[in-house]
Amino acid sequence: MPHPTDTPALAPRRHLNWAQLGESYALVIVMIALFGVFSLLLPTTFFSWANVSTMLGSQAILVFLTLSLILTLTAGDFDLSVAATLTISAMTVAVLNAQLEVPLVLAISAALLVGAFIGLVNGFFILYFRIPSLIVTLGTGTFINGIVLWMSGSTTIGGIDFTLIKFVVGTRFLGIPLLFYYALIMCLIVWYVFGFTTLGRRLLFVGRGREVALLSGINVEKVRLGALILSSMMAALAGVFYAGTLGAADPNSGNSFLLPAFAAAFLGATAITPGRFNPIGSFVAVYFLVIGITGLTMLGIQSYVQNLFYGGALVLAVALSQLVRKREAQEL
Amino acid sequence: MTTSSITRRSTRAFRGGTALALTLSTALASVFASAAQAADLDAAQAMVDEYSALPVFEAPGKPFDAAACMAGKKVLVVPVTSAIPFISAIAEEMDSVADEVGFDVEIWKNQGQPTQWVQGIEYAIANGFDAVDLMGGIIPAALAPQLAAAHEAGLRVFATHHTDVSYEPDPNADVRLPLSFSKVGEILAAWVTTQTEGNANVLVIGTDDVPPSQPYWKSFEAKLAELSPESKATYVNVPLADWATKIQTSVQSNLLQDPGINYIVPIYDSMSQFVMPALAITGKTGQIPIATFNGTPFVLDMIREGDDVVMDIGESMGWIARSAVDAHMRDLCDIGDTPEELYVPLYIFTDANIESAGDPADFNMGYGDSFISGYKELWGL
Repeated sequence: MPHPTDTPALAPRRHLNWAQLGESYALVIVMIALFGVFSLLLPTTFFSWANVSTMLGSQAILVFLTLSLILTLTAGDFDLSVAATLTISAMTVAVLNAQLEVPLVLAISAALLVGAFIGLVNGFFILYFRIPSLIVTLGTGTFINGIVLWMSGSTTIGGIDFTLIKFVVGTRFLGIPLLFYYALIMCLIVWYVFGFTTLGRRLLFVGRGREVALLSGINVEKVRLGALILSSMMAALAGVFYAGTLGAADPNSGNSFLLPAFAAAFLGATAITPGRFNPIGSFVAVYFLVIGITGLTMLGIQSYVQNLFYGGALVLAVALSQLVRKREAQEL
Repeated sequence: MTTSSITRRSTRAFRGGTALALTLSTALASVFASAAQAADLDAAQAMVDEYSALPVFEAPGKPFDAAACMAGKKVLVVPVTSAIPFISAIAEEMDSVADEVGFDVEIWKNQGQPTQWVQGIEYAIANGFDAVDLMGGIIPAALAPQLAAAHEAGLRVFATHHTDVSYEPDPNADVRLPLSFSKVGEILAAWVTTQTEGNANVLVIGTDDVPPSQPYWKSFEAKLAELSPESKATYVNVPLADWATKIQTSVQSNLLQDPGINYIVPIYDSMSQFVMPALAITGKTGQIPIATFNGTPFVLDMIREGDDVVMDIGESMGWIARSAVDAHMRDLCDIGDTPEELYVPLYIFTDANIESAGDPADFNMGYGDSFISGYKELWGL
């Protein structure tokens, strides 16, 4: 099961534990340091409000997709179909609204329903047939990619109603597109649900130990199904916003978010509440990656360095976290 | 005379008559067919000859003082992805050409994610660039909100080497420089016609999610039908993301299903690396030639070193870069004769001239150097 650690996260803290504090905020400190380094190297371009607002706004899609992933990861399942769900959702909006002239609200509702249906299908195969989620979602993700190619005719579809664009990136507050604030709000909602509701606790218990959760009277299958459906709907919402960011949908590019989203989810699990997939940690992780990639891009570094950064940052961050934890055993 | 002997004789006479009629009709048909084929073969050969000749530079517009009018200007080039060496090399070449002229080109290196293109455009807006160039396959309509913002901020928007000339001009860009992929399709059809003497059975591998693929394939199909009506072409679509896993299996199945296939045309030459294992596994190595397009160095090396790839239509990366920079400068300097497509000659590489492409082959070798001095003179450098 995909738990970043097996540390009992609910243990009360009686006194200030510097090692634990360091571990919780190491990623935040590294992120600030990274921002500082790039600001020194590129004082006029990187260290500008225009750049900060661009970074915050343009990568908020990744925040949504990472939040979608941590819902299922917390419940102990992998969902590899989230990027495909994002793509089909964006394409559903484009085909219905731009090609078939369906009103925007209906097109968005249809996209979210598509997301819910994908979650239901994933849940059916995972729970009824008891197939590992990794295999099921790998299959459904590939299947969805095929449907997207079919429904789009393998081409980019533009001309989505400008109202969507206006509500996603066309309107700014403090110079930052609204999409960033949506991501921030969603992050806070997930944080509240995870930390302060029965549902969040059940999700965590199910992820930590299904048998124990079952013996405690939790309907494990219902919780897992709920997580899968909500996760797919969140990915579909990311797809709607993706269509709103570009004013168009293409059949492939959404899939490229899968690795960064997983990297952010696992990287985020080393921060704020180490040992748990948590939304604030994921949020910090996304922007840590974005700061790194944007800085490297502005420096004109070759694009393969971006891969080195994504992969290297993930492994190094988790390794450092393990050093702080005195190399405790991991379940993964 | 028995009834049976009469029957035998009449049967023999009938067979003889039928045979004679068949022979005559076949002879007549072959006379007419060969006459038709000869005419088509000539046309096909003429086209092949035209694109086998070393390209010579012809000025695409009136001369102007580029250094004077471009001084202090900044252009941001956003390539479709920096992970494709050909695209990356064009961007780098544009940068060095701009240095020669005396203005600033910056490259927004990325990994093909539209959100990275969005960041690039917003970076250009925030940092006082004069223009942004979407290069190598970004469809301007897919970034409409950001380009509208760029226009509002006073930037010019260019789209370079992004699609086929047959597409409707995209209103989101001010200067559009498509490439004639349709012409490439026609040259390939002519080549296949000459090589098979009008009896081609071609397997074409395309990738519909790359925008110019369909007009490219359609022009190939139409030209083949025109030059060689007896020939047959089968189109297989393999999405870009599936090249590594599906090209080989698609080619294998088609070769097994139709043993008469005598030519393979992967429409982009990087596909060839996945076609060759299919030829090997079906025991057809060296038997079914491959003709393709792009002039990617490792595929040009395949012409030199192997028997499968026999022809590759190349486009000079340096020429593309200069043609793009020339068009951008004409627009920014308001010269008034901004071209509507890239001026990039297509050039056929075969065993006969492959040595000129270098060993190992290079993106920029084999096309002569008339364009380098030609553009310098045109820009008053």
